[in-house]
Amino acid sequence: MKKSRNTAENSRTWKFIFRAIKPYMIHIAASVLLSAVTVVLTLLIPIRIGSVVDNIIGEGKVNFDAIMPILYGTVIMAAVAGAAQWISGMLNNRVVYGVVRDVRCAAHRHIQTLPLSYLDSHPAGEIVSRLVADADKFSDGLLLGFTQLFTGVLTVIGTLLFMLTINVWITLAVAVLTPMSIFVAKFIAGRTYSMFRRQSEVRGEMTSYIDEMIAGQKTVKSFCREEMTLGEFDGINDRLTKCSVSAIFFSSLTNPTTRFLNAVVYAAVALTGALTAIGGGISVGMLTSFLSYANQYSKPFNEISGVVTELGASLASAARLLELTGEAPEAPDGDGAVTLTDAAGDVSFDHISFSYTPERPLIRDVNIDVRAGQHIAIVGPTGCGKTTLINLLLRFYDVTGGKITVDGHDIRSVTRHSLRASYGMVLQDTWIKSCTVRENIKLGRPDATDEEMVAAARAAHADGFIRRLPHGYDTMLGEGGESLSQGQRQLLSISRIMLSIPPILILDEATSSIDTRTEARISRAFTKMMAGRTAFIVAHRLSTVRGSDLILVMRDGDIIEQGTHEELLARGGFYRHLWESQFAAV
Amino acid sequence: MRQVFHYLRSYLKESLLGPLFKLLEATFELFVPLVVADIVDVGIKNGDRTHIVWMAVLMVALGVIGLSCTVAAQYFAAKASVGCTSKLRRALFRHIGKLDYSTLDGLGTSTMVTRLTSDMNQVETGLNLTLRLLLRSPFVVFGAMVMAFTIDAHAASVFAVTIPVLALAVFAIMLVSIPLYKKVQQALDKVLLSARENLLGVRVLRAFGREADEIAEFEKRGDALAASQRFVGRISALLNPLTFVLINLAAVVLVYVGALRVDAGMIETGEVIALYNYMSQILVELVKLANLIINVTRSVASANRIESIIMLPEEENGCVTELDVNAEYAVEFDRVSLRYKNGGSDALSDISFRVRRGQTVGIIGGTGSGKSSLVNMIPAFYPATAGVVRVYGENVNDIDRGTLRRRVAVVSQGAPLFRGTVRDNILFGRPDATDAEVASAVKTAQAADVIASKDGGLDEPVERGGVNFSGGQRQRLTIARALVTGADILILDDSSSALDFATDAALRASLAALEPKPTVFVVSQRTSSIMHADMIIVLDDGECVGMGTHEELLASCAVYREIHDSQRKEASA
Repeated sequence: MKKSRNTAENSRTWKFIFRAIKPYMIHIAASVLLSAVTVVLTLLIPIRIGSVVDNIIGEGKVNFDAIMPILYGTVIMAAVAGAAQWISGMLNNRVVYGVVRDVRCAAHRHIQTLPLSYLDSHPAGEIVSRLVADADKFSDGLLLGFTQLFTGVLTVIGTLLFMLTINVWITLAVAVLTPMSIFVAKFIAGRTYSMFRRQSEVRGEMTSYIDEMIAGQKTVKSFCREEMTLGEFDGINDRLTKCSVSAIFFSSLTNPTTRFLNAVVYAAVALTGALTAIGGGISVGMLTSFLSYANQYSKPFNEISGVVTELGASLASAARLLELTGEAPEAPDGDGAVTLTDAAGDVSFDHISFSYTPERPLIRDVNIDVRAGQHIAIVGPTGCGKTTLINLLLRFYDVTGGKITVDGHDIRSVTRHSLRASYGMVLQDTWIKSCTVRENIKLGRPDATDEEMVAAARAAHADGFIRRLPHGYDTMLGEGGESLSQGQRQLLSISRIMLSIPPILILDEATSSIDTRTEARISRAFTKMMAGRTAFIVAHRLSTVRGSDLILVMRDGDIIEQGTHEELLARGGFYRHLWESQFAAV
Repeated sequence: MRQVFHYLRSYLKESLLGPLFKLLEATFELFVPLVVADIVDVGIKNGDRTHIVWMAVLMVALGVIGLSCTVAAQYFAAKASVGCTSKLRRALFRHIGKLDYSTLDGLGTSTMVTRLTSDMNQVETGLNLTLRLLLRSPFVVFGAMVMAFTIDAHAASVFAVTIPVLALAVFAIMLVSIPLYKKVQQALDKVLLSARENLLGVRVLRAFGREADEIAEFEKRGDALAASQRFVGRISALLNPLTFVLINLAAVVLVYVGALRVDAGMIETGEVIALYNYMSQILVELVKLANLIINVTRSVASANRIESIIMLPEEENGCVTELDVNAEYAVEFDRVSLRYKNGGSDALSDISFRVRRGQTVGIIGGTGSGKSSLVNMIPAFYPATAGVVRVYGENVNDIDRGTLRRRVAVVSQGAPLFRGTVRDNILFGRPDATDAEVASAVKTAQAADVIASKDGGLDEPVERGGVNFSGGQRQRLTIARALVTGADILILDDSSSALDFATDAALRASLAALEPKPTVFVVSQRTSSIMHADMIIVLDDGECVGMGTHEELLASCAVYREIHDSQRKEASA
């Protein structure tokens, strides 16, 4: 059962690989052909040198008439072999880098269509590693591995054939002895594998310890725990040292051992060859060719055994990539999907329920009716489902029961693009792209003029700090906007919304990191912006939601109370409790 | 590099023996072509079978000796390189623990982590390769030439020409391609950044419908990467064919010259074979050497990066270890200014105030007004650029850092929890705290219900960064961690921002009830959190614009009034 699934998986992987390299078939064929030329010429050269040696018999007995044409010919062969090798190398590059780019871009394009549920449940680091490292390993290992395997096998076969044409018995000696080095290499590799695994485990442990402690270095210092962490570090470091020494030592035995076995083969060839030569079985020149072959013969074997492991790794990478690109995308917009333009802003939740995992229902039978222009506040403790409602509104997730409508349309019958374009969203976790301030603000409306952009930034009270940045609106922001404070990042994302001003606004703790003076100013701008627009406001500072038309109090996925501020206070329930607690005296 | 050598010195024996054994092995390898020449010129020529057998045995014997030498060499090299790197890693980790806050700010976490991990691994690889191969390869190359000269000086002159030409070709290609590979790396980094940002910003990007632009940008970067890879690939693909052609050209010339010398009766046929064999040995070693040099260059760069951190000055330390905890004033600021190392203008300017023992001080102000800077100066995380900060009457710069920081506990806004259990995290504050002390700290920090809500209680596992706890839960645990230290100056740097008002109020009440009463600094953006403080300091753009009680400030300080109104108006209207 399991096996058959593996076979199916493997055949899917191979199909994926084949699709990826298909556009490059001509390149690959040409490269293979040129490698064959290189191998054959490379193998011919020792034979030609051997026949030259045969014409160098002794003092005054050197046949220059025979030698010279062979030597000229050898130079030409070497030149042709070199040229063929270079060209095939470049062809390989073209294929490898081309495939990796194709595969990567295809995967990236696919990611754009994946549902949020997939992206939320898979760490970004893991997906990025598939997109970057696995794509590299796949194409590198597979294609370079393939060419190396091809030339390796061809060299082995060619060498055997050439040797056979000279002498069967010596060939036999070489053929029997050489594979020994592979066994030995395999034996050592097998032994070191477990050591390397141990080493990489401990190394991983070390890295995550370092990562955590360096990130928390200030906390460590403020509690004077430098010595304690150093003690823990030493414990891991000592273990790492021990297993690194053995892993590195044992793995570094591979080369000397194969070299030694090669020396044995070489001695065997010299012995049998010389003895045959005495009997007149072969010439001294042929012995020279044999010795050259004996020298090179084990090299392709080592390469082949290396390539096989690499191919395995590359297949594993291909499978991981395939897992990503094979992930089912979001259900595409239906054929009759409506394009929402200039939405009025009527939103209704009709008996909706939702859960991230079937075992744990989160939102149950929620009904809300919002008329265009109303302001809805959502309050409640952390984890009560506030953010989930936003996920549903924007169709980052689809409801599992009931329906959400905008202007009377079930949002599942509206194109995602037009639906999302009707919303303006400022999230608590602001996201800044690593580009200029200008591009960041214009993210929602790339065609806006600079005047409009500056006006939006002014309205968001961001203009002031932006102008104080080294290059104003053209300042490049680092990854995640690291150079800005959390508050400044929020001001920037508010500017984005101020620039695009869509009909429905979603403000998720939008001003949580902004000081209240600035917040008061921004809220005036917000008020202006929200006038006549439907707005959903998530907040835990109750002061910011007081003026809303409707306040939803959520707890554990349920709306436990709803009404206006005054109604809720009068009811004397959970809301009143929350409200009063913020004025509790010390 | 000096640091690396410093730690390598403890492995002096190993780092000398390693290369030495390698050279022995190489020497034995160099004898092999001579043995082959002897087989041809003596054995075959005279039909002496016994001689041939003995020579073959000699070759195997040379192989055995070579193998044992290498095994010894590999062992010593592994021991020295791993041991040295381990000591270096420890030294760096320890040194980072001794750096001051501004240096840590300047370096950044990811830089330090890279230095401790991948740079260290690179140094280890480089050291190991250096000990094993750096002497061997040149030795074989020049050894082969010397051996060729012992056979025949005339023919050997071919070597004298070939070696420099080959070396030039190999190193020229390497030198040209190394900087190009750096460009490839940069292009790859861009691809990586693009991919990661796209995932992290997926909600914003999809909300704005920017998928198509993201794809276009990613593909542009992918194309740029492929183009730069192809460019450098074209050059580095030249290495093997070029050296192959050169070495065969040299072999042809060598055989021709050899033929002339045999014809003239100067050498024998077998010696021509030996010369040819030496020629093939050179190529292999030169390519190895070139690869080695690339690796070593990278390692040297890594070592220098590591060293640049180790060379950073340690945090200055004072020598006062006794503090008069009964002094009238717990904390004094006397005309204090602070300017960050890379900051343009003062983060704080000319701040003066005095805090009596047991008082509670509120600090309020807008984003970037210098609130955190001010409190971080009390445990001397940032030393004053001008003026003096005193704790219990002593200039903080003169107090031993350990002594000072055991008295002052700071809870900063984003302080992390570490992997382990809840108990481990609280004991991080003071490892020898009793269960009763832990329980009381937890209670004061309003964290009792956090712990009660978890199945494992105090032994509930904490994931890295405390991600399995909510923001408010994390904050309460970090407060408990600070309380358990028993420090008598407590700084809460916006550390109750994620708490709801009820919990925040309960926290304030339980802090006020502590006995003996600690001196408390509360940094906040909400007036409600600090309005009951004995003294409130109002900061605006790094300057103190008001100081006094809530009522005094309402009467006298416009900024304070504005902050208070902005919160109050919304709250009560």
